[in-house]
Amino acid sequence: MTTTLAPARPAADADRATFAALAAREVRRFAVNPVFLFAVAMTVWVLSTDPGNVTEIDSVNWIPAVFLGGFGMMATFWLTRSMRASEPIVGVTPVTLPARTAALCTVAIVPFACGGLALLRFVQLIPVGDPAYGAFSPSARIAVLVGQIVIPSLGGPLLGVALGRWVRFPGAAFVLFLILFGWGNLVTALSISRPDSTPLVVLRLFAPFSFFTLRGNTAHLTTWRGSPWFFLGWQLALCAIAVLVALLRGAEGRARLRIIRALGVAGAVAVVMLVLAAAGGFTHAVTA
Amino acid sequence: MVGPVLRAGAWPAVAGLTGVAVVVGGCGAAFPAAASVLFPICFALLAAAAAFTLDEPASLVVDVTPTGPVRRTTIRAVALLAPLAAGALVLLAAAMRGQALPWAAAGLALAGNVLLGFTAACVARTRTGEPGPAAGAAVVLVLMAPILVPQVAHWVRTFPAPGAGGPSPDRVWWTVLAVCVLAIAISAGGRGLPRWRARVAILRRPGALRLCRARPGIEG
Repeated sequence: MTTTLAPARPAADADRATFAALAAREVRRFAVNPVFLFAVAMTVWVLSTDPGNVTEIDSVNWIPAVFLGGFGMMATFWLTRSMRASEPIVGVTPVTLPARTAALCTVAIVPFACGGLALLRFVQLIPVGDPAYGAFSPSARIAVLVGQIVIPSLGGPLLGVALGRWVRFPGAAFVLFLILFGWGNLVTALSISRPDSTPLVVLRLFAPFSFFTLRGNTAHLTTWRGSPWFFLGWQLALCAIAVLVALLRGAEGRARLRIIRALGVAGAVAVVMLVLAAAGGFTHAVTA
Repeated sequence: MVGPVLRAGAWPAVAGLTGVAVVVGGCGAAFPAAASVLFPICFALLAAAAAFTLDEPASLVVDVTPTGPVRRTTIRAVALLAPLAAGALVLLAAAMRGQALPWAAAGLALAGNVLLGFTAACVARTRTGEPGPAAGAAVVLVLMAPILVPQVAHWVRTFPAPGAGGPSPDRVWWTVLAVCVLAIAISAGGRGLPRWRARVAILRRPGALRLCRARPGIEG
């Protein structure tokens, strides 16, 4: 009776309500995913232990990126793929595939929030004024931490959704995780021997995560080239690209054209940000 | 029999993962500064490739054929030669580049990694027809744990990197090899139909189809 007498809601309101319901359901599914819970537990364990006498931030700062970002990527990949078997049934519902993908992308809010909390805990463990951050200004130190802890926690799960939408191979998430981890280590190792090489700076920043300081086996802390602020812009552009690539799957007509156009813009922004990140910051590695 | 069983394997997954592992290991051989991380990643990928060797998309049909699980597992084990050969190639490339690795220990680690992946697949195969994705992911996470979690590296090392402190990985890998052989023998020997499938089949068609767990096949 109520339904009959109530005035018809505009279609946009109905779409929004459907999207909110879908997003809430996906967030619930993600929050209880064992892989994500394991990642949160490991992050809490590592950050709850006293790091002792810290001489560089690089011994701890990559842990949230690996667990919340890397493991978050695997969790969203499996979450996205879990609906693949029921696609013939889900596909005939009034909700389009891009709308369902957008709902899946909202789950990244959860690891993003966890990354924010991890950042606060990290700053509590190692205050921003500590010399372990290198020669950066206080604001740049915050940018370094946001780029190393918070943004990877957001980008990893978004990448997992895009991967789940486009790649059929069920082991793609852990393979990509290993490749990204290996790439990060490779370019960091190469940067140690030639910290002032511009191509190596570009290669080091051409990753979703990058170190900006290194102590190595010496008593001195080296601050590498590169602008942490523009690196943040590069990471956010990568996040936008991941979302757009995920949404492109199943998009039709004008929506598809708009997504492709937005992808072009995001790609151009990413390239500009990468160039600025490599060109900005110190002109050469600073050892103190 | 050998040909069809081998042909039905998940070769694209095994070859793809092995190929990625060779690229990663090749980078480790080319850039010794990163070898201590890239070689374990390469070996973990080879272990994941080994975990895909037992994938059987047509397991609903294959599991009830007269060819027993021991014979099928033995035939599929031939596919392990691919990741093993790839790993040996990577180690050879590293040796030719003049890297100073403890080669016997590295070879043992390679064999242990690959056998661990295969064992995980064997155990998971008792539950599902395609154990590769789950077993591969689990093995990768276990093998990467000493690198990803610094605290774990104090107790266990999975790769014999020169100059690294902590316990020797040799003891770990000899233990893993022994446990793996035992686990493979138990899981392959005791595997008829996956437990859930046998239960479902018997429940749905009582009397019409009697499934023998000791030796798979259809009786009476």
